[in-house]
Amino acid sequence: MTIEDADFSDEFCQFLQVAVPAVESAELLLLLRRESARTWSAAEIVAALAPGVSLREEEAAHHVEALEARGILSVDGERRARYQPAAELAGHIATLERVYRERPVTLIRVIYGLRDRQIRSFADAFRLRRK
Amino acid sequence: MIEYISGAVTLGYLIAALFFARFWKRTRDRLFVSFAVAFVLLALNQALAQWLGAADERVGYTYLLRVLGFVLILAAIVDKNISNRKAGGGR
Amino acid sequence: MGTVNLVLTSLAVLTSASCMWLLFRAYAASEARLLLWSGLCFVFLTLNNVLLFLDVVVFPDIDFRPYRLVTALVGLMFLLYGFIWEAE
Repeated sequence: MTIEDADFSDEFCQFLQVAVPAVESAELLLLLRRESARTWSAAEIVAALAPGVSLREEEAAHHVEALEARGILSVDGERRARYQPAAELAGHIATLERVYRERPVTLIRVIYGLRDRQIRSFADAFRLRRK
Repeated sequence: MIEYISGAVTLGYLIAALFFARFWKRTRDRLFVSFAVAFVLLALNQALAQWLGAADERVGYTYLLRVLGFVLILAAIVDKNISNRKAGGGR
Repeated sequence: MGTVNLVLTSLAVLTSASCMWLLFRAYAASEARLLLWSGLCFVFLTLNNVLLFLDVVVFPDIDFRPYRLVTALVGLMFLLYGFIWEAE
């Protein structure tokens, strides 16, 4: 799936592939970004995202951990997370927020398309006629 | 030693088949079903050949399983390209 | 029986060789690493099928089984490595 789209530059897609493997990650990240003054526990995140997004607490904790590893969130001793992005990621996160607002369907398609890119390319390899 | 490697190979085929099944679940691409089944057949071939032993004359027939597996893969490739033309890029 | 063996083993060789070629061709175009490992797997599976061909059709008196097993094992290790580390 080739994405020739000004909003979805290669760098942004790479950021997505690494930092935002699922739509729930994006929702979680944007929630913490909106309320960046406070810290969040996994349970509070689940409660805040419901009913639009249904997430189990372990899943939320898992996403938080992954985002912390990417330098987007910081987690204190009580497992409470706060939005604290590395400087070079702020731009991509701003793009993410805009695209989530303006083109959510495309964003979802891109996120899931990126996730299975390697696998799809295996299947596509068997097309005799190169596209 | 031979039995050890034979067992490892059998397990390897089965695990690969499981991965193909997982890929099918993710992408819903029929090709992965064919690969999964094909690799199960390869595993079966390996296990049976080991179980019967090299001296058994029926071992030759177990290789039909292997061939069947590869025929399945071939069919999957054909299927992917035929339905491609038909639907103009379908899966 | 000899012709059947010839046809069937050749078919296996051709199929695995085709997979190998298609996967490497796609890897050259897209650099998706999974394709590299899959392609390498099919190199060894093709080798495995060639050895089967030799075993059954050309040199029925020689037992290629140990070599066949090793090629299959090496090929599968490449494949599983690729599946575990590159298939997201």
